[in-house]
Amino acid sequence: MRNLFAFIYRFRAFLVFVLLEALCVYLLVRYNTYQGAAFFNSANKYVGQVLEFQSGITDYFRLTSINQTLAKENANLRQELMRQRLLALADSTASLDSTYYAATDSSQANPYLLHAGRVINNSVRRMNNYLTIAAGTADGVKPGMGVVSPQGVVGRVKTVSENYATVTSLLHSQMLISAKIRASDTFGTIKWTGGDYRTVLLDYIPLHIKPVKGDTIVTSGFNTVFPEGIMVGTISSIEQEPDKSFYTIKVKLAVDFAQLSYVYVVENTKEEERETLEQNAGIITDEQ
Amino acid sequence: MNSSFGLKHIAQFFLFVALQVLLMDSLVLFSTGFCFIYVAFLLFLPLVISRVWLLALAFILGFTVDMFYDTMGIHAAASVLLAFLRPHILNLLTPRDGYEASDTVNIHTMGGRWFLAYTFTLVLLHHTAVFFLETITFQTAWYTIVKILLSTFFTGIVMVILQLLFFSHKRERIDYR
Repeated sequence: MRNLFAFIYRFRAFLVFVLLEALCVYLLVRYNTYQGAAFFNSANKYVGQVLEFQSGITDYFRLTSINQTLAKENANLRQELMRQRLLALADSTASLDSTYYAATDSSQANPYLLHAGRVINNSVRRMNNYLTIAAGTADGVKPGMGVVSPQGVVGRVKTVSENYATVTSLLHSQMLISAKIRASDTFGTIKWTGGDYRTVLLDYIPLHIKPVKGDTIVTSGFNTVFPEGIMVGTISSIEQEPDKSFYTIKVKLAVDFAQLSYVYVVENTKEEERETLEQNAGIITDEQ
Repeated sequence: MNSSFGLKHIAQFFLFVALQVLLMDSLVLFSTGFCFIYVAFLLFLPLVISRVWLLALAFILGFTVDMFYDTMGIHAAASVLLAFLRPHILNLLTPRDGYEASDTVNIHTMGGRWFLAYTFTLVLLHHTAVFFLETITFQTAWYTIVKILLSTFFTGIVMVILQLLFFSHKRERIDYR
């Protein structure tokens, strides 16, 4: 027994080394699939405060561009609002006799809420990129919700604390997003393969479809994370490799990830209902 | 715990982590050259330090950086590896008549060649661990290797600059660092 302790003591450095490495690998593996409350990451209260302080300083240097994006978004929204008003004026369905009025699809009745959040930490050049936003459970953000910017899809909430949340960016090697070509309604999967942060890959578009360069790619709405029709990007190149039954399509992202300032967390009010239904039916989806 | 670990090193810990998180995080060369200057904390620790204590410090350091980078475990694993290898590299690089008691990691007293060999070897090992843990696969190995080499170069240069700026010629280090 004494020899054993002597042995352990002699190799203590090596044993501690092995133990710590094992702990690191465990943390690494667990964190990849982890989703929930934030403990040891950038949504942590103190880490979030440091990052917010930092972005509080750096944001001053890009106030002009942030203001421009917000003003542009405002203009778009006003335009949309005016169109809606005109439509409402021309539309008399609501005032018709109720016997002739057919209620539309119930899922169209605004099941999505948006929570705004300021981006306080962002990366685009790593293999797995995350954002940190200054909005947490106090603002209604929950793990698993989708995140969009005025230009398009950004990512999905991974962990939340009271005032902060980390978001798995679209620029993450394990992030898959269900998307479709708007013109032909063919759906495929968007994924990022690393390298350039402006282009992603659109997979699983079968060969009988004829996609054209410049076609718009939007989210499919086949799951509860993103509403249908949120912009992803436009097709920048199409290749047909001889041994593959799908096209290799490169998509230029609509969102400039290096310039993100404000994003919206999408809350789906019908998410729970739909997920239990789909789970009970045995449909399991692995893409967002 | 070693008696040579004092307030100075605690201050260095926070300085290097702050430098990493607040400044170097957004300083990336050509999308491939990253600067992980926080390892300077481990490299600039006293030459004689308990191995277990060094490993523990490395874990705490890596874990702190991981929290900011959302890369749970990657930097911690690489730092612990660096801490484990540091005594061995120091042994390999022992000057002809051994280390003196007053020796510290200092480019002026230990000489440029010793310092460069020491820094670049350990930084290269650390960065190799970081970037391969990040990708896991070997599919993009060439890109990863380019990243490792450029980043090692970047971090090494910054470390030499820090040494030249803030570490004195005298045997003892200035207090404000």
